[in-house]
Amino acid sequence: MQIIVPVIEQVRVARDTYRLRLASPELARAALPGQFFMIRSPGLTNPLLGRPFALYDTYLDDGGNPAGIDVVYLVVGKMTGLMSTWSAGDRVEVWGPLGNGFPTPTAKHLLLVAGGIGNTPFLAVARAARGLRGYAAAAAQKRVDNITFCYGTRSAEYLAGLDDIAPLGVELRLATDDGSRGHHGFVTDLVADWLLKNTPGDDAEQPSHARTSSRPPAAIFCCGPEPMMHAVARLAEQHKVPCWLSLETPMACGFGACFSCVTKVKQPGGGWDYRRVCVEGPIFPAESLAF
Amino acid sequence: MPDLAVTLNRLHLANPVLVASGTFGYAREMAGFVPLARLGGIIPKTITPLPRIGNPPPRTVETASGLLNSIGLDNDGLDAFIEKHLDYLLGLGTAVIANIAGHDRDEFLRMAERLGRCQGLAGLELNISCPNVSGGVDFGVDPEMTASVVRGVREVCGLPLVAKLTPNVTDITAIAQAAAQAGADAVTIANTFQGMSIDWRQRRPILGNVVGGLSGPAIKPIVLRMVWQVARKVPVPIIAVGGIDGIDDVLEYLVAGASAVQIGTANFYNPSLAGMLIDQLDQALASAGCQNVREIVGTLQIPQR
Repeated sequence: MQIIVPVIEQVRVARDTYRLRLASPELARAALPGQFFMIRSPGLTNPLLGRPFALYDTYLDDGGNPAGIDVVYLVVGKMTGLMSTWSAGDRVEVWGPLGNGFPTPTAKHLLLVAGGIGNTPFLAVARAARGLRGYAAAAAQKRVDNITFCYGTRSAEYLAGLDDIAPLGVELRLATDDGSRGHHGFVTDLVADWLLKNTPGDDAEQPSHARTSSRPPAAIFCCGPEPMMHAVARLAEQHKVPCWLSLETPMACGFGACFSCVTKVKQPGGGWDYRRVCVEGPIFPAESLAF
Repeated sequence: MPDLAVTLNRLHLANPVLVASGTFGYAREMAGFVPLARLGGIIPKTITPLPRIGNPPPRTVETASGLLNSIGLDNDGLDAFIEKHLDYLLGLGTAVIANIAGHDRDEFLRMAERLGRCQGLAGLELNISCPNVSGGVDFGVDPEMTASVVRGVREVCGLPLVAKLTPNVTDITAIAQAAAQAGADAVTIANTFQGMSIDWRQRRPILGNVVGGLSGPAIKPIVLRMVWQVARKVPVPIIAVGGIDGIDDVLEYLVAGASAVQIGTANFYNPSLAGMLIDQLDQALASAGCQNVREIVGTLQIPQR
C-alpha cells in the first residue's frame, strides 16, 4: 500500500533522535512488530528514494482503534535531516508495512537486545509479548513471562524511549560506550552476563523443563550494528538460546524489486546465497545467516 | 478517449507505457502497487543462461536525483525463469518482453532460441548494455558486434526483437543504425550511465562493485538528447527509458521521437507511478487534441532563427 499521509506530530526523544507520528488507520491496522515502512517526501527527487523505518508502535485513538503509526529515527543523512524539519500537517509518502516482522515469541523469558538506533522495533515487540496490544487484527495475548531489554548507545543522551518501554514491566539493562549511564562498555557484555546467569550454557546438563516442555526458557530478539548482532548471535549459539536478528541493509524499494538489500543466507545444501532482506527479512534466525 | 495502441514493427502494444527490466522484479513484487494488466508491457529482470549470484553489497547508493546500482544481474538463470516466473507473467494479460544477457553471441542465441519456443511472449529485449557485468557491455559499444548479435538472434528466434543500447558510447546513433539494419524491431534508449560514488573520509568506493550504473531523474536530459538524435537519423522505433518521474517526462520523450517508454527507477521510489501514467497519458493527449498517441511521436519542432 502506497499512500500520502499527514504528520500528526514530531517529538524529539533523544539527541538527534525523533519520533514521527503519521495518521493512517490503514497502515496501523496492518502493521506487525518488526515490520517496516518506506518513507519519503512526495514530489522531491533529492532525496529520491524512500528510506526504511521500523514500526515503533501503532497509536490508538480515544476509542482504542488503530489510528496511525510512530517511527523513531536518528538523523544521519540527507533524508533523515529533511524528516527532522517536518511538522504537523506536512504530507509524506509511505508504503508498507513491509517485511516479515518478528516471530510470535514462545519462550518464558524474552531478551531484547538493541544497539544504537536498533531500539526502534522493540516497544511494539514488548507490548505484543506482554499481551497489552494486538497487532494486524490479532487479539492481544500474553506470550512471555518476563522481558529483559539490554540497550546500548554511545552515551546517555542517545538513549531513546525508556519512558515508553519501562512501564510495560520490562527490566532495563543499559550500557553506554562512555559510561555516562549504565554499564560502561558494550551492550554485548550485558547479554553475556544475562546468559551466564540465566541459561545452562555449553557444559551444563539439560534442565528438566527443556525435556518436558516445548516452551524454551529464553529467546533473543536483536537489532543493531552488524558486528554487535554477530557477537550476540555467537553468544546465543554458545548458550543454546534461539536468536533472531533484525537486519538493515541499503535498500532502494523495500518490496523486492531492486535486489539491492541482499545478505548472505546459508543454503540447505551448504554454502550461501544472497537473499533480499526486505522480503525474506528483515528478521532472520541468527543461525541462518552467513556472517 | 485517444487510442493509445502503438506498433513498433512486429511488436504490438496496447499502450506505450512499459516497465524497465531490473526495476520491476518479476512483476509479482509490484502487484500490490500497479494494475499489471493495464501496462503496455512488462520487461522482467534480465535472464542469464545460468544462475548468477550478483555483485557484493552495497549494491545501490543514492546520488543527487539519481540512483547508482551495481546489482550484477543477480538471477536464478533461464531454467528457473521458465519454471518459476513465465506462467505467472504470461497470465497477467499484458505484453511480456523477456530480457536476456549472454557473455557471448552463442549464449544470446541459445537463450533466444529457447524463449522463442515458449508460447505467449510478446518479444525479446537484448541486454547488450549492462555496465555491471564484464563482457556484457562490449556488444553494445561496437556497431558490428551489436549487428552480429541481433542478426544471429533474428535467425533463430521468431519473436519481435528490441536491442537495449548503452549510452556509454561516443555516438549512439551508429549503434542504433547497426541494430536496425540487423533486424531489430526497436531499440531501447538507454541503459544506465557508468558512474561512481566515494566515501572520501574512508577513502573507499561506496558500491561493492566500485562502479555502477546511474539512473533516475538526473539522467533524463542526456537520454532525451540521445532519443532525439537517433529519431532524426535512424528509421527505427525507439523505446525511451531514463529518469521518467511524471507524465511530462513521458510526453517529452514521445515528442522527441520515442514510440514507447519504460518506467525504471521510479518503480522503486514511487511504485504506483507506472499505472497512474497510463490514465494521465490519456488525459494529456485528449487535452492536446490528439486522437491517438502516434500523432504526437516525433513532433519536435526546431525554431528557425
